[in-house]
Amino acid sequence: MVTSAVVNTYPLSSYTFGTKEPKMEKDTSVADRLARMKVNYMKEGMRTSVEGILLVQEHNHPHILLLQIGNTFCKLPGGRLKPGENEIEGLKRKLTSKLGATVPALVPDWQLPNSIVLGDQFCLKMWVLGSVAEYTLAVLIGECVAIWWRPNFETIMYPYCPPHITKPKECKKLYLVHLSEREYFAVPKNLKLLAVPLFELYDNVQRYGPVISTIPQQLSRFQFNMITK
Amino acid sequence: MADGMLSNGAVREINGSDQSNDVIDIYPLSSYYFGSKEASPFKDETLADRIQRMKFNYAAHGLRTRVEAVILVELFKHPHLLLLQVRNSIFTLPGGRLKPGESDIVGLRRKLSSKLSVNGSDDETEWEVGELLGMWWKPDFETLLYPYLPSNVKKPKECTKLFLVRLPVSRRFIVPKNLKLLAVPLCQIHENHKTYGPIISGVPQLLSKFSFNIIED
Repeated sequence: MVTSAVVNTYPLSSYTFGTKEPKMEKDTSVADRLARMKVNYMKEGMRTSVEGILLVQEHNHPHILLLQIGNTFCKLPGGRLKPGENEIEGLKRKLTSKLGATVPALVPDWQLPNSIVLGDQFCLKMWVLGSVAEYTLAVLIGECVAIWWRPNFETIMYPYCPPHITKPKECKKLYLVHLSEREYFAVPKNLKLLAVPLFELYDNVQRYGPVISTIPQQLSRFQFNMITK
Repeated sequence: MADGMLSNGAVREINGSDQSNDVIDIYPLSSYYFGSKEASPFKDETLADRIQRMKFNYAAHGLRTRVEAVILVELFKHPHLLLLQVRNSIFTLPGGRLKPGESDIVGLRRKLSSKLSVNGSDDETEWEVGELLGMWWKPDFETLLYPYLPSNVKKPKECTKLFLVRLPVSRRFIVPKNLKLLAVPLCQIHENHKTYGPIISGVPQLLSKFSFNIIED
């Protein structure tokens, strides 16, 4: 994890965006999602989720990358940690899963065709297309800028653990992510990747919800170094 | 060294990414002493007068910087923010405007002593000014504030900086008679833009990344 008061942001045009196979949501409704959360809580205790704030600049103003599901619902890239998983490693895993490009992994496989006997000098090498791997994004995870708590199996979250709540159901941590100058993002076909300016998020709870709409305040102490080509 | 207890009751995983300065030690409200002193002179002016005065100051000194302190105590196991109440409806964080050329930290200590300590006391250095939590910008003289500098604004008129100020286990607060010092729970401030304005109602979100270590006797 990197702590820095200065954030370098590069123009949207210095990044390349492609697509990859869809990543469907595990739940089809809010009720389903909360029900699944309850099942997981019984097994594993409080859920910890991590989300990344990836910034680019356009017209000299910072923009946050958001994933849009359907027509309206926006979320930050990220997700649930596995039990015992380190937060930074988990966030890298989630960012790669949501936005990392997939490349076929070239796996060498020595394999002789069944019925041909070859002499000592040479063997037939067959390169087999192994499983598809995801190219890990070269990102630097920065500091945590916000933590939100879910006291009950409901949608409401608070930026503090409310008084009298001893067993919160979820803890969500937002991390600043430092992007390198060039990056290749592959967006699942069923999602859209948006670059939304801070001024559009500020005070816009109806459209983006309480967590995302307050990110501008949480970023206000940083100095943005808007790099142009 | 008093034992601390994490106020949220949840086990905090130590995974190498935690920093010790992300923990704020807070002490019970009862460990502090509150007294009063003579009223501070209050500028009684209309909004139009105020804007006029700001324009004059801007012409003379340029960007006006305000520095404000986020100071926390514990009550009922929940962090409370210290606010000053002016008259019956205006709430502010302790702080004020910097003099031309004055640094943020020096200015904030001066303002905190002026609002919260005995006059002429030498204890300005006792204020432990911590990190910058957030900044708000005013593109023009009217009152709208933004947590970023809009990209089309080349000459902002005012910048307000919020600093975390960590309290020692005990101290005396001496407040001018015309001000009230309140300890307001974060849960009451959160999203309460109507009563407290955008800066104060946004403080819980600025503090969310910290964990509070409640230190009791």
